[in-house]
Amino acid sequence: MPRQAGRSLRRLESHAKVTGTVEYVHNLELPGMLHGKIFRSTVPHARLARVDVAAARTAPGVEQVITGQDVLSIIPDPYYGPAFHDQPILALEKVRFAGEPVAIVLAADPYAAQAALDLIEVEYEELPAVYNEVEAALKGAPLVHDKLRPGSMFADLIHVRPRSGSNVHVDYRVRRGDVEEAFRASERVFEDTFHTPAVAAAPLEPIVTVAEPGGSGPLTIHSATQNPSFVRGELARLLGWPENRVRVRTAFLGGGFGGKQYIKLEALAAASTLLAQRPVKISLTMDEQFVTITRHASTIRMKTGVSADGRILARECEIWWNGGAYADIGPRVTQKAGFTSAGPYDIENVSIDSYAVYTNLPPAGALRGFGVPQVNWAHETQGDRIARELGMDPLEFRLKNLLRNGRPQASGTILQDSGTEEVTKEVASAMRWAEPLDCGTGTTRRGRGVALAIKAGVTPTTSVAIVTLAGDGSCTVYAGTVDVGQGSQTVLAQIAAEGLALRAEEVRVIHPDTDATPYDMGSVGSRSTFHMGLAIQGATEQVSRQLIEMAAPVLGADAADLELYDGSVVARGRGDAEISFRELMATRFGKNTGTLVGSGSFTASYDTPDPDTGQSDDVAVFWMIGAVGAEVTVDTETGKVMVQRLVNVADVGKAINPLLVSTQLSGGALLQFGYAMSEEMRFEEGQLVNSGLAQYKIPTMLDMPKSVEVVLVEVPHRNGPLGAKGMGETGTLAVSAAIGNAVFDALGVQVKELPLTPERVLRAIRAGAGRPLED
Amino acid sequence: MSILGRSARRANPPEGVPLDYIEPATLGVAVELLASDEAARPLGGGTALMLLMRYGFLRPSRLVGLRRLASDLGGISVNDRHELRLGALTTLRDLELSRQVARSAPVLVEALHIVGNVRVRNAATLGGHLAHGDPHQDLPPILLAMGARAHAVGPRGSRWIPLDQLNLGYYQTALEPAELLTELALPVQPEGTQGSYTKFTAVSAEDWPALGVAVFFRRDQDRLAGVRLALSAAMDRPQRLAGVEAMLDGERPSESLFQAAAETASSAVEPMADGGGSTAYKREMIRVHVRRALEKTMRAPALRSG
Ligand SMILES: Cc1cc2nc3c(=O)[nH]c(=O)nc-3n(C[C@H](O)[C@H](O)[C@H](O)COP(=O)(O)OP(=O)(O)OC[C@H]3O[C@@H](n4cnc5c(N)ncnc54)[C@H](O)[C@@H]3O)c2cc1C
Repeated sequence: MPRQAGRSLRRLESHAKVTGTVEYVHNLELPGMLHGKIFRSTVPHARLARVDVAAARTAPGVEQVITGQDVLSIIPDPYYGPAFHDQPILALEKVRFAGEPVAIVLAADPYAAQAALDLIEVEYEELPAVYNEVEAALKGAPLVHDKLRPGSMFADLIHVRPRSGSNVHVDYRVRRGDVEEAFRASERVFEDTFHTPAVAAAPLEPIVTVAEPGGSGPLTIHSATQNPSFVRGELARLLGWPENRVRVRTAFLGGGFGGKQYIKLEALAAASTLLAQRPVKISLTMDEQFVTITRHASTIRMKTGVSADGRILARECEIWWNGGAYADIGPRVTQKAGFTSAGPYDIENVSIDSYAVYTNLPPAGALRGFGVPQVNWAHETQGDRIARELGMDPLEFRLKNLLRNGRPQASGTILQDSGTEEVTKEVASAMRWAEPLDCGTGTTRRGRGVALAIKAGVTPTTSVAIVTLAGDGSCTVYAGTVDVGQGSQTVLAQIAAEGLALRAEEVRVIHPDTDATPYDMGSVGSRSTFHMGLAIQGATEQVSRQLIEMAAPVLGADAADLELYDGSVVARGRGDAEISFRELMATRFGKNTGTLVGSGSFTASYDTPDPDTGQSDDVAVFWMIGAVGAEVTVDTETGKVMVQRLVNVADVGKAINPLLVSTQLSGGALLQFGYAMSEEMRFEEGQLVNSGLAQYKIPTMLDMPKSVEVVLVEVPHRNGPLGAKGMGETGTLAVSAAIGNAVFDALGVQVKELPLTPERVLRAIRAGAGRPLED
Repeated sequence: MSILGRSARRANPPEGVPLDYIEPATLGVAVELLASDEAARPLGGGTALMLLMRYGFLRPSRLVGLRRLASDLGGISVNDRHELRLGALTTLRDLELSRQVARSAPVLVEALHIVGNVRVRNAATLGGHLAHGDPHQDLPPILLAMGARAHAVGPRGSRWIPLDQLNLGYYQTALEPAELLTELALPVQPEGTQGSYTKFTAVSAEDWPALGVAVFFRRDQDRLAGVRLALSAAMDRPQRLAGVEAMLDGERPSESLFQAAAETASSAVEPMADGGGSTAYKREMIRVHVRRALEKTMRAPALRSG
């Protein structure tokens, strides 16, 4: 029987997925179900003078129309959110962005509900609004929230210190060494400002929730969520109920990418179903998804001092995160991306200020990378400028400053078990960096670039798992990990199978259902294989121990000589003495009866950072380390960039499933490729002008890099399951900068704002040539 | 992008009025159904209309489905003037796969391969494409440069509309309310015609054009003759550039001539900014792509008679 860890097993649900037989909440229909359609604010910032739903209430087919006032009757304090409790289920006194839910119409026919939206009349008293993250942080900017409402759910966010009287709701900082002194001692000081736009997660399965009132049973929420346990806790808090009266379950998710994190439609669906006493489904259109959650737009100012021989002596980062109208998980983005914003480098003097800023735009949250793709764009783009101006090879410059195991990261936490050197070496070899590249002379230029990445695995978080063995010896895993398409069901089955010496195909991993699966913090931040993997290992150890204890007397052997092999307990060195799990269960419980239960949990350690300096001994459960290489051609007359090669190198610790790990990395790289090249939410006076996939352009097959390559590096993590570490985001982090650096190599000019649209690149070319494009 | 224009052609019905869908069996009834209701709309493939409705830009009270008229409004044939006759209900996919079209209008087929995607082309009709009036479409500049005429039938009878008179502005056409496009006549191109269509997309490969350039000419000895050049997507409607055509006609092709023509083209129009680029960028793209389109046309095969 092959080892289960290390098998390139195809996803166990592949066949069911391609034949259309897997469950998605999107397809769920319940008897008596109503459809909810949301009336959304048309203005970015206003006092609600009047919300008149009388005509909609009497429209044909309409069962009920619910406003913020109605919600108050069952949820007196209806503000939700993972970091702050700042988002009302439906707008109350104010609306804070164009697209904010103001009312919901319930009807058995979704088209009747949609039609009735036209009959709702809202009178707005418009207020001054603010959209830009830097302007919003200034004193005197219009305030999006008059009062801050910090939450209390996550340990890593408890210390965030909200600021009142400002749109800056989190002000996170790192202080290490003395940057001012080091700038004075530097040979050269470089200062640049970078921008990234808001972008959309755009999963193809919409954000969707179906809620059932439950009657005497629990309130039941079927939701395409990445965080079922969190949703349960949050609904219980809102309702003032114990958690055991709320049941949250998921099925497969048709993509999430962060867009389905924490709580999205669940509170509105819960309020609707409780008021209507009928099942209610809310399913967003693609356009609605765009105003529900975005990836933060950002402005990043980076100042770096270097010695004559290219050592980075000091780096100062100032980051403004455009959080939109509600904090969502922005505070964690502010902190997590904040403390790695100086990059995977060994720098003695670091100063970081990272500000979460409210604006009158749709809320921003985490989107594959928790802000690191934004800060990476800044430090890796500036890195190439520094190298060029010092006359150094960009890779040599990086190697010279590389953060190595045993050295402190900017947060003070010592790097360990991380392949920073290995990924750098691998990317150099894959890119044949030592060989020269002909950049060309005509209107097509070639260039290549590399970028390195570091991201901290979120901590402290918890996963709990239960593993059972049925009377027939078959194994079931009860895990709260959501399979969003990343293949977690397969990998968790492999980990359980490895622990019980079964084949992964024989193990069943059930979808999260808080009535059955124990707590898990969520399928976010590349944490599931590591955390849930460890919890499952703990659970399979318990089952395994019970099996061996049961088998010892039956086989007349010493427990110490027994081991599991292919569905049986065997006595080592005595080939014929073995008993199958099924027979063993029968000896204990009777034929085909009974259950063995094992449980395990894992909570990562954490050292709360000092609030003034951000210093901590233990700020990351593992480090995600990656390197990207890109080779491009640029049409110098149009500015159009074609990526010829995109090489993604990642330290995965141990590839429990090399096939899935590779597709996660290439998938992540291509997701970020879109954000690097074309994707950008464009707002005019707070109104999104390119919502939906017709206007907001995701790359098509014809736009993709000609060659997408993945290289795995395996530097085992001392605590990881079989040495594995998280890698679901590693592939996204450095893609933009690697492509930008390749463009820089091709043209000799830098673009500091994403995405690299032809116009932006052409403008840079023309400005560089002293012939700026005249408007 | 192209769907944000609100058509001023017809009134929207009062809110909440349910939609009525009818598929008449004759052209006469179709016209009557349209004429008797201010807020009625003909429906071809629906690829454009459905988006406009979904975004709330249009709220027709009645949709008049045309598909049962395929026997009158469909088909590809040659008329008695040897022109290619393309029925208004012909799908873009049928045009793309037609041997007859490939023979007499290869440039059209080349462009059809990259109109939207195959799912759109399977549904979209030629009539809908032209009546939509969206300046960001690929076929109008080609048809314009080829000298096509459209036939329309309305309550006041039928008429031929030369393509240069069909588009009046942004999402505006010369079609009267209740007037239906029935067919398009594509004149025989002179023997030896070389042509090309250049589509430039700024954001993703599969997109509405940010700029379209259609060019046709013959070569008379070593000189250019019968030059026709049309642009689209940068302005509110597809346009032929008479000034540029005149400066090329009768001249010997050369790098400097093409460069000068491109300069003239870029200053001849006032490009409008959209998701594909600013005015300045579009102007620059006209300069680049008119030159490239002329060079590409030089390399294009010459049309043989037959
Ligand atoms: C995803 C997508 C991508 C696209 N990409 C491109 C592209 O790359 N290039 C490009 O050129 N175009 C593109 N298009 C536009 C496409 O070409 C048009 O939507 C299509 O040609 C319209 O034809 P239809 O039959 O579907 O028209 P419909 O949607 O049925 O109708 C369009 C308009 O014409 C009217 N109408 C329809 N038929 C007639 C008739 N016979 N007489 C009078 N009025 C009529 C309708 O009332 C409506 O106002 C794209 C469209 C989509 C949806």
